[in-house]
Amino acid sequence: MTSLHTSSNSAIKETMLKKALSRIKRSIWVFHLNTGSCNGCDIEVLDVLTPYFDVERFGIKLVASPRHADLALLTGPVTIKTLSKVYKALSAMPRPRFVLAIGSCAVGGNIWFESYSTIGGFPKALEIFSEMGLEIDGVMYVPGCPARPEAIIYGAATLLGLQKPKSKYRRLKA
Amino acid sequence: MVKFLKILPIATKTGTVTIKYPYQEPLVTESFRGAIEVDPAKCVGCGACTRICPPKALTLTLEGNTMILKYFVGRCIFCGMCADTCPEKAISVTKEFELATGNVFDLYTDIEHEVKTCSICGKSFISKKLGDKVASKVSDIPSETMDLCPDCRRKEALKRFIGALE
Amino acid sequence: MVSSESAMNDINNNETFMTPSTSLVRDIVLKIRSFKDRVFGVEQKDGIVRIKIHRDVLPNIVQMLATLKGIYLRTMMASDERDLEGVYRLYYVFGVDKEHTNIVLEASLPQEDPSISTIVDINRAVDWYELEAHDMLGIEFLNRELYRLVLPEDWPEKIYPLRKEYNISDLIKFYRPKAIEYAKEIGAENIVTIPIGPYHPALHEPEFFELYIRGEKVVDARYVGFMVHRGIEKLGEGMKYDQVPFLAERICGICGFVHSSSYCQAVENALNIDVPERALFIRSIILEIERIHSHLLWVGVALHLLGYDTGFMHSWRIREKVMILAELLTGSRKTYGINIVGGVRRDIDSDKISKALDVLKYVEKEFKQLVDISISVPQVNARLRGTGILPLGEAIALSLVGPTARGSGLDRDVRRDYPYAAYRYISFKVPTYSEGDNLARTLVRVDEVFESINMLYQLLDKVPPGSISVESWEPEPYKLGIGSVEAPRGEVIHVILTGSYSPYRWRVRAPTYQNLPAIPIMLRNADLADAPLTIASIDPCFSCTDRAIVVNIDRGSIKTIPIEILSLKGLKAIR
Repeated sequence: MTSLHTSSNSAIKETMLKKALSRIKRSIWVFHLNTGSCNGCDIEVLDVLTPYFDVERFGIKLVASPRHADLALLTGPVTIKTLSKVYKALSAMPRPRFVLAIGSCAVGGNIWFESYSTIGGFPKALEIFSEMGLEIDGVMYVPGCPARPEAIIYGAATLLGLQKPKSKYRRLKA
Repeated sequence: MVKFLKILPIATKTGTVTIKYPYQEPLVTESFRGAIEVDPAKCVGCGACTRICPPKALTLTLEGNTMILKYFVGRCIFCGMCADTCPEKAISVTKEFELATGNVFDLYTDIEHEVKTCSICGKSFISKKLGDKVASKVSDIPSETMDLCPDCRRKEALKRFIGALE
Repeated sequence: MVSSESAMNDINNNETFMTPSTSLVRDIVLKIRSFKDRVFGVEQKDGIVRIKIHRDVLPNIVQMLATLKGIYLRTMMASDERDLEGVYRLYYVFGVDKEHTNIVLEASLPQEDPSISTIVDINRAVDWYELEAHDMLGIEFLNRELYRLVLPEDWPEKIYPLRKEYNISDLIKFYRPKAIEYAKEIGAENIVTIPIGPYHPALHEPEFFELYIRGEKVVDARYVGFMVHRGIEKLGEGMKYDQVPFLAERICGICGFVHSSSYCQAVENALNIDVPERALFIRSIILEIERIHSHLLWVGVALHLLGYDTGFMHSWRIREKVMILAELLTGSRKTYGINIVGGVRRDIDSDKISKALDVLKYVEKEFKQLVDISISVPQVNARLRGTGILPLGEAIALSLVGPTARGSGLDRDVRRDYPYAAYRYISFKVPTYSEGDNLARTLVRVDEVFESINMLYQLLDKVPPGSISVESWEPEPYKLGIGSVEAPRGEVIHVILTGSYSPYRWRVRAPTYQNLPAIPIMLRNADLADAPLTIASIDPCFSCTDRAIVVNIDRGSIKTIPIEILSLKGLKAIR
């Protein structure tokens, strides 16, 4: 779990976060937010609900409104037309709020990371939102194009603390 | 009227198809393309992969005295073109898809190359491995020339040409 | 094949003459040439007839074409050719289905006055093409209302992204800070209406439909969208030829292979590259597999919208096997990444073929059972029959494509009318129904699944040996090529002008772009509860809304609600 704001009372925030997470982790309510993606990852999100993968056995339920949700499933590279709407949706979620950024568009902007029409992925959008005062309590990035349903389940499980992430920064000498 | 009740025997016969991942193996076939793995021993730093990568997930940058091949798996589209293009066959496509992490910087992998500097102007212009490899293939060109960057090489060639005219 | 070389020779000896080979095309060209000094050159090269005309005479020619049957507007491309000849050029692509030929009218506009009179009153299908050309290149269309379609409302004036003087990094500087400022303003207000985002299986994009209602009936609908605009055409101009198929595949996640095949076909058409037959067969096989999985997805989604969730789950269970097959054949469940210009990158062997045959038998048996049962469910049958009627006349006027058109009796299919890949080696039927309601469109798609399975049996049987791509090919600049493919949603067409290392101008037209203007027509006087299924029946790939704004004319109230609830509760949802 990474907390995004390192301030002087970050230790207190960490414990509050752990407490909140332990209360909701058996039954997270998610809502799906598409910020201009090609729909590949969105269909894989829907696939996760169908009989072969069945994420409802983890207690995850899809809801219709951000006001009822704990976790936002975000796909797409955050196009400029949707920036304000994404901000409204995320700020409508009650604390603690988590975001699962699914797919290579949301993580790094995919092929259009430097296009005039997109912000370039969720990390860049998050910087903008932090300046506007929006706090997100936890983010998990799931690469893939499109992200496999198993990868999405893996990402959700890592966010809930069921397992430790495997990816680590490596620097090798040639 | 009750034809639609025929769905019940179908459902019962099909049974449960759920793959209880992560407590069971995922449904990955033999041709699946996951993240790539660059072999640091074989990579010479030529940059062919960086030119074909559609989302520029592979980039070759110069940081001071080292040349770095950066692979950002967060932007990778898992197409495998880099593996097809690498002349040294240093890139292999694995079946890894469990890449989720909370910190974006964990998704980078860097490979450091030593660089060769020009003996006249001191600019770093090529990785040592690639420079040595090219030099071994054109053994009839003297090593003083091979140690120069392209700009200085052109200036020296022009000086020799003018000198030969006089 | 009738050649009229001698006839053309007699008419005009010192212009570029062409040899039209078929009767309707020859008539059209003769009629166009009657405009004498306003027509500058005619050339034909397998399947494309290019006619250069003066901009003044365009409305007259389009008027003449509107009187003929069997000729449809496929797309329009505007391109900045100021560094070639000092002009802007508009390419209007008309298709003569029965004779497998495209007629391209090219009108040049001088750079100091890039204006041309509109033809939207003659041909309604050209509406969005003109708006897009205005947004992206600054072409002025006289005598019509121009508004921002693709770019945001407050994009700065006079900055036209597709003009050659701007490159990508310049354009970011122009608008990104403004978008951030705008977002900050919105965030500061006290907003009551809930913004986009709710889960909706049929509609995935954050777009808007505004539904104007009176009582329980919808009187009008307006579409506000293009939230997904990512600047693909501009990015394509900066990438090399072999990188663009990966970009094209991500235009749409469900029918991505169609876009990359269409791009490759356009380049191969422009440069006369001879693709080996084995590659053509592999492309056709993967295209049909994509069609099956897309239609199974749609059937599941439509059943969910009608409240029959059992059908949704069963349909997606059957579909999962097709996805696993696609991964076995290509390496990825979607966005397959095996197309390159000149062929494909992955081969299929007999082991994979036998696995494919097993999956097809399974899908055929299970899907037939599922459809029989689902159509007999009383609520499904009652809500599909007689709703969302689209008359044939409207379908022709708007040049609709795909199952939307075939459900209203308009018989068009690119696989038969402009044969590509391996379709000329197999036999297949094109299902058409004439009622024009939601049930007709559903049955068209169901029949197409069974047709696709038949086609796959033939294709898998006949794959010829050989290599899977050309050895090498040379790019030549400034050649025009058209590539079109029948996607699950309709016709996809790509027009390309080649450059030396990368495409000079690339135009993409997805089928939903052509089909969306039909929605207000289908929704007029429909019940509010039928609106979601009607919108989903064109199988929108490019837009849709999670939420709809419902404007109650009698009461003067405006509410935003999730469209799924509209489907289940109708008017009660907004009281």
